[in-house]
Amino acid sequence: MPQAMIDLPELLARVENDRELMRELLLIFKEEFPQRLQALRDGVASMNAERVAAEAHALKGMLSNLAAGPAANAAARLEQLGRNQELSEFQEACASFENIGKELLLQLDVCIAEVCVDEDSHRR
Amino acid sequence: MRILIADDEMMSRKLLQKTLERAGYEVIAVENGRLAADQLFPADGPRLALLDWVMPGLDGPGVCREVRKRKEQSYVYMVLLTSKESKEDVVAGLESGADDFLTKPFDPEELKARLRTGLRILNLEDRLVEAREKMRFQATHDGLTGLWNRGVIVDLLRRELARSSRERTCTVILMCDLDHFKSVNDTYGHLAGDDVLKETAKRLLASVRTYDFVGRYGGEEFLVVLNNCDPAFAFARAEEIRKAIAQKPVPSSSGPLPITISLGILLSQEWGRRPVEELLHEADAALYAAKAAGRNGVKVARPKIASADSESQVHDPVRLRR
Repeated sequence: MPQAMIDLPELLARVENDRELMRELLLIFKEEFPQRLQALRDGVASMNAERVAAEAHALKGMLSNLAAGPAANAAARLEQLGRNQELSEFQEACASFENIGKELLLQLDVCIAEVCVDEDSHRR
Repeated sequence: MRILIADDEMMSRKLLQKTLERAGYEVIAVENGRLAADQLFPADGPRLALLDWVMPGLDGPGVCREVRKRKEQSYVYMVLLTSKESKEDVVAGLESGADDFLTKPFDPEELKARLRTGLRILNLEDRLVEAREKMRFQATHDGLTGLWNRGVIVDLLRRELARSSRERTCTVILMCDLDHFKSVNDTYGHLAGDDVLKETAKRLLASVRTYDFVGRYGGEEFLVVLNNCDPAFAFARAEEIRKAIAQKPVPSSSGPLPITISLGILLSQEWGRRPVEELLHEADAALYAAKAAGRNGVKVARPKIASADSESQVHDPVRLRR
């Protein structure tokens, strides 16, 4: 059983049980995450510490809003490395973040499907 | 209540917007600090703002600093949204002019509670401004008639005399006094007397232009300042005021009362540069000449022509009084 990447009860509390809003947030994340991830990769590839910190900060915010704790923590680590100019750690931290991100995206699709089913049943 | 949200991150903006709309706020959402400052600058802009700390260009603390520079506008209660948690960051945020900060990801109930604190502060500010305006009005207006009080009307006259001297125009002083007012009070009581004063104030205001000044100078004495006014207009205005009082009985708690008024006119262009007190004294002398001539009339204060001393003369406004 893989680790849960999204704390659904927490996310539901954050949206005050508004499943429509939850679905919208999940879809916005799904659309925005690949672009943000690419920007982070570019920062890491060019060893641009300032950019890594900025992109990781933005990702951390998105992931926190989504109650995606493990991914938010991995982004926070990258942000900190960027701020501390610890360039040698960038590759490993970014790879670790990407692995978590992959798992998160898989679970995200399941989540979106569940929310849609729940919403339909709520409507019926 | 309108609230501004500024956050460059779409999910965060959406989440804040929905949460606040559900709580009854009218939300304006923007995606950067520059747009936030533009929204908050106008006097009728939102007075509550939630600002993300990190934004491209102008960040949250930068917006706070810009808004606080504008001292003349109503207070804007600003909350910074941040994932920064160090003491130094918090101090820097609050020193930029923010009122509070909220750590991301926010809890909806905490967010609403923090904003309620902001609303209480804005409400307190409204009450203070209202009290200040009330005090300002009381300090500058006569409590019974609502006209300018003596101190203010004399200041306004002083200002207008200086301006007319600079611009070579004429300021006109109308010193007006109700006739036999003491007997109104003695016969019908002070409440009726107050009614007469209030109605006189209304009729005076209705008889002058919107940019002229009317003040209560003393008990039953009123001072009217006509700006940038030629003699013929001044005489006509004085006569209109006299008629406005005399032609229609004044309603009072003791029934309609026949009231008349006497006026002394002074045209500044005929007197050159003189202290305001001296001009008021001369206008008062003209008023008392009108009283001596039988009341319900108008007299003009005129300086003695080619006289070595400063003695004045009082004349009828011949063009109007046959």
